[in-house]
Amino acid sequence: MESFLSGVAQIFTLATLIYMLAGSIAGIIAAAIPGFTVTMAIVLTLPLTFSMEPLQGIAVMLSVYVGGYTGGLISAALLGIPGTPSSVATTFDAFPMARRGEPGRALSLGVWASFFGTIISTVVLIVAAPPLAMFAVKLGPWEYFSLIVFALTIVASLVGDSVIRGMLAGLIGLAISTVGADPVMGRPRFDFGVEMLQAGLPFLVVLIGIFAISQLTSEVEDAESVRSGNALVTGAIDFQTWKVMKEVLMRPVNLVRSSIVGVLIGALPGAGGSIANLVAYDQAKRNSKDPESFGKGNPAGVVASEAGNSATAGGGLIPLIGLGIPGSAVDAILMASLMVHGISVGPRLIMDHADLVYGMFVAMAVASLMMLIVSVLSMRLFLRVAEVPKWLIVPVVMVCCVVGSFALNNRVTDLYLLGFIGVAGYALRALGYSLAPLVLGVILGPIAETNLRRALMTNEDPALFLTRPISLIFLIAAVLSIAWAIRGHLQHRKTPERNTDASAS
Amino acid sequence: MSATGHDEKLAREAGEIARLLSYVLILIAAVGLFFTAAGIPTSRFERLGAGAFPKIVFAGIALVAAIAIIDALRKIPSGAYGRFTAQTVAWAKQRYLVFVTLAALAGYLILIPLLGFSIASFMFILGLELVLMPRRPATLVIAMIVAAIFSFGLNWLFAEVFTVFLPRGVL
Repeated sequence: MESFLSGVAQIFTLATLIYMLAGSIAGIIAAAIPGFTVTMAIVLTLPLTFSMEPLQGIAVMLSVYVGGYTGGLISAALLGIPGTPSSVATTFDAFPMARRGEPGRALSLGVWASFFGTIISTVVLIVAAPPLAMFAVKLGPWEYFSLIVFALTIVASLVGDSVIRGMLAGLIGLAISTVGADPVMGRPRFDFGVEMLQAGLPFLVVLIGIFAISQLTSEVEDAESVRSGNALVTGAIDFQTWKVMKEVLMRPVNLVRSSIVGVLIGALPGAGGSIANLVAYDQAKRNSKDPESFGKGNPAGVVASEAGNSATAGGGLIPLIGLGIPGSAVDAILMASLMVHGISVGPRLIMDHADLVYGMFVAMAVASLMMLIVSVLSMRLFLRVAEVPKWLIVPVVMVCCVVGSFALNNRVTDLYLLGFIGVAGYALRALGYSLAPLVLGVILGPIAETNLRRALMTNEDPALFLTRPISLIFLIAAVLSIAWAIRGHLQHRKTPERNTDASAS
Repeated sequence: MSATGHDEKLAREAGEIARLLSYVLILIAAVGLFFTAAGIPTSRFERLGAGAFPKIVFAGIALVAAIAIIDALRKIPSGAYGRFTAQTVAWAKQRYLVFVTLAALAGYLILIPLLGFSIASFMFILGLELVLMPRRPATLVIAMIVAAIFSFGLNWLFAEVFTVFLPRGVL
């Protein structure tokens, strides 16, 4: 209790709160720019925290982290471009909702879902950090591979109009992930002597090219609409703060389920927000009484994705605090900032520096509250983006995409790649391929390959995937997931036929 | 059937043929890359080599693409192939701004290393705005200001605040 109070006292100082507020604002703005990830924002914050107290520094970085997960929502909802990989699923429903004339509601839903997702994950973190950390460390490559197989079956529910094109897109994503040095032995693959391909295709450049460039290009398809000065999103700029809060709280099952999914995935090293938002969205769609409305502006989809990705912030701290294993790039940077201050992170952290750990828990809750306040106060400003005409926003956001792609590795060749992938992305979009499975394939490909090969290097017996209980559970879940999706598609195909019959009779 | 309904049907058929072409291209690429993956040497330290996972993926792509081709051939009426070129040209004409935008982006990306980020971005933003915008004196002024902010301003912000230096150019 004494340590807890000490942690609270360190967080609730004026200086720390001001720094945290600045961190929240920086995180939200950074993640709202396509291509500028939460990780990049945290990396840029790290040097600024060297001169601070350890807990103060960590609290600022957590504010950037929590703010960043919410910032990705802004471009996802208003431009249809995921600001960060963790807001890919947010574009599915928030963007159609904004297009339908409800941009304020879409943003507000996302902000509240993020807030509650972070709070739920903080509660879970406090209660379950030690046992969950012990569970996560027991998973071997067999379980990870089976988990990824399960995650890949999500493709089945993201395929859009055509199952075949959706599957092809998912497989093309996996194929893209195989370019460059292989993840186990570092052997070069598919570089065809081109230097740019030797290091592999950077995931972020692929994401920006596929989603942002293709989306922006498709905005100018209708010359008349662009030249008349039409805005990207039209409709009431009304944030509807309290009404939407009630709307989010009226979906307690979806909110808690998505948050738990986020916590569990965040607790697994290597996974993270980029997977959690898709899994949470998929679960919400499967459990919905009206799955047909997903992808067309269903509020449940926005709540699931945002609660899921925000909850990974707390989940990711579980293995970090419990075992000293960073679950994601962001957690690794948080760990580095503690190490800079001479604090060794590991199982003894909670014993040696209990005040710091409790302070981190409190900082998470305070950061999410700050994110909420900053969002509510500034959303009107962000919503002005919706009023900007297409002729202005298309070239400007394209330049932001170019900056985001370049700043990642400071490589001009990444820009050529961006252009190439952007054209390919537009072609795929125009041909009716669903782009979400492709991105999922690019994210999951290296994790699947690494764990498959690692499992077979450890033990050549492939039957272990079926005989290890947790691995078997994930594989059964994958089979059930596919069966469920096929059932859904068959029902979907029957319904229009029935309608046609009815109209013909 | 109304004239619009007929046009839509023709456009749908042309879309199906375009998709069929994409399946064929994907199939050819997948088969080629499958054999490239088969040529990647295996390691004696592991059962699966660096080429095993890509082989699984490309075999999967080839299989799905083959199914897609059969499905598409079943759907497309024989007369549609003759109308494909005319339909494609009409589709492209309708979306000429897309091609202008993509060409401007390509030119911009090529010019960045030569002219530097600031000048190339200013030219790209202003040029594309001029193509896309409704031509009025007020919009022209806004276009100039926005182009300056998001080229020279963005370069300054990244250099001074984030210490990220965008390309300076060689000219």
